Amino acid sequence: MIPNRIRILFQQERLSPREKGFLSAVGVLMVLIGVYPLWGDSYGLSVVRDSLILSIFALSLDFLWGKTDLLCFGHSTFFGTGAYAMALLTLKYQTSSVVGILAALVIASSVALLAGYFLIYAGVRRQYFVIVTLALCMIAQQIVISLPGFTGGDAGLIDIPPLAFSFFSKDVTFNDDSLYFLALGLSAATFLGLWFFTRGNYGKILKSILYNETRAQTFGHNTSFHLLIAFVISAMLAGLSGAIYTVTQGIVTPDLIGPVLATEVVVWVAVGGRGTLLGPMIGCFLVVRMRQEISSISTTLWPLVMGIAFVLMVFVFPDGIVTIARWTGIHRLFRGAEGRHIT
Amino acid sequence: METIVPAILNCLTLISILILFGLGMAIIFGMMGVINLAHGEFMTIGAFTLTFLQSIGGSYWLALVLAPFVGIFFGLLLEGLVIRHLYTRPVGTILATWGISLIIQKVLEMIFGSGIQAVFNPFKGAVSLFGIVLPAYRLFLVGFASAVIACCFLVFRRSRFGVDLRAVIQNRDMAEVLGIHAKRTYRLAFALGAALAALGGVLVAPIVTVYATVGVTFLTKAFFVVIVGGTGTIAGVAVGGAVIGFLETFFNYTMHPSLARALVLILAVIIFRFRPQGLVRS
Repeated sequence: MIPNRIRILFQQERLSPREKGFLSAVGVLMVLIGVYPLWGDSYGLSVVRDSLILSIFALSLDFLWGKTDLLCFGHSTFFGTGAYAMALLTLKYQTSSVVGILAALVIASSVALLAGYFLIYAGVRRQYFVIVTLALCMIAQQIVISLPGFTGGDAGLIDIPPLAFSFFSKDVTFNDDSLYFLALGLSAATFLGLWFFTRGNYGKILKSILYNETRAQTFGHNTSFHLLIAFVISAMLAGLSGAIYTVTQGIVTPDLIGPVLATEVVVWVAVGGRGTLLGPMIGCFLVVRMRQEISSISTTLWPLVMGIAFVLMVFVFPDGIVTIARWTGIHRLFRGAEGRHIT
Repeated sequence: METIVPAILNCLTLISILILFGLGMAIIFGMMGVINLAHGEFMTIGAFTLTFLQSIGGSYWLALVLAPFVGIFFGLLLEGLVIRHLYTRPVGTILATWGISLIIQKVLEMIFGSGIQAVFNPFKGAVSLFGIVLPAYRLFLVGFASAVIACCFLVFRRSRFGVDLRAVIQNRDMAEVLGIHAKRTYRLAFALGAALAALGGVLVAPIVTVYATVGVTFLTKAFFVVIVGGTGTIAGVAVGGAVIGFLETFFNYTMHPSLARALVLILAVIIFRFRPQGLVRS
């Protein structure tokens, strides 16, 4: 039995009609993505699949940034750690995919636990946290590049074996179709898990820290401890996303752990509307799609677009697409998903 | 002796560049609690001023004189267009300056190409000092940078502007009550920091490869100079620069350069954990 004290933390209020509407809208969206393979071509399917996997990464950052106000500007540290753990284990040590994924989760969350202990307990918050975490992914990238014999250095690793499970002594290897549904299932589960998690009592503790950490401390909450837990959960999800992403691509490169990806995921979240969970998933789809379009015109154009996106999201769209929705009045439909300004 | 002295000179070169670069960053950080992630681009702009002037036949010395003014121009531009509107939004400042930094890098690449820019060293050859052969340019760099840093120290301690600046860093509201125009002080300090970074860009250009994203490598180092050294004092930046510069040179001689860089950053984070105000308290 789960101890009562723990159960109380996840206790939920009854769903309001508006929240039911919101969840049904999400359900319809998931079903639409689920039936897309009926008419989508294989290229379109791979694009949607990659976006679904990356949207777990977007969710992990939105959980941290939107729900606790810690902006990790180097979240690719954990995505990349998961990717490299998966790649190295399945490629170099021939372990099964399950061991690879579990190791990715454990290693990504251990890195977060260590770094988070040093930073969060030292009282590093807000802009200081942003900067130090940016440095964190730069450190991680330097380490990966400095070990060419182990990680493949600048070139990375190729020929990562596909996802395969042993199920009742029957070997199942994931093909493109089953990977698509695995990606859909994982991202839907992550979304619902985080949505209910932040809605419950534990979410309320996090919210009280978000609005006023000192006041939350006055009420007896060990805020550093809770923030550390949120950081570790977020890192674990990022690691999961990285591990699955690297097997679908079959390669892993230092780009997956560096500042370029780390800052791009911030744009996904900001475009979608920080703190809304669903928004960043949509933002991820939009931005990843846009990157493909723009990169097909010119590869050097994309960083320029990213740069402009950063300036715009600070000055013009502090709530991302939620800002636009507010101009048109659509946001009233999505009251269940309240967002936060970028401060 | 033949290996130690050049190593010390390399170390001093890095330290003086880091201090020049870190000064502007530390002052902005001390005043606003914000890191300007586009600070690296001031250095790139300085280096590109040199390569551009040399490509049209200008001399190194002309660039050394002009670059600070180019830095001041872009510093005032960035302050007026972006930073000024974000004084109450520190996280917004970081995101916006990161965006600006990407934009400047790409615009420079569009104008000058993404390749390595040619730089002509003003001092060819070496100087023999007490029987040890040393590259002449590095000696000049360390000497010139030390002179500039000494000037900054004097301005900071002795001039009216320096007093205003220290007052605003210590307590902005109180400084304004005493009649100091805090916003103008911010603006001047920002432009001055940009000028120092651009000057650093010219000085460092002949000994590194110059390309549009060269500033980013110095940005992280300088950032750790600031957090290790503490904000708001020149002595702090000097100590931070010495620590980071020494560690990096030392590790570079013993291991893979990327691992060395990572190790320096890790050590800086650990120092940050135990001395969040930096090594030198203001």
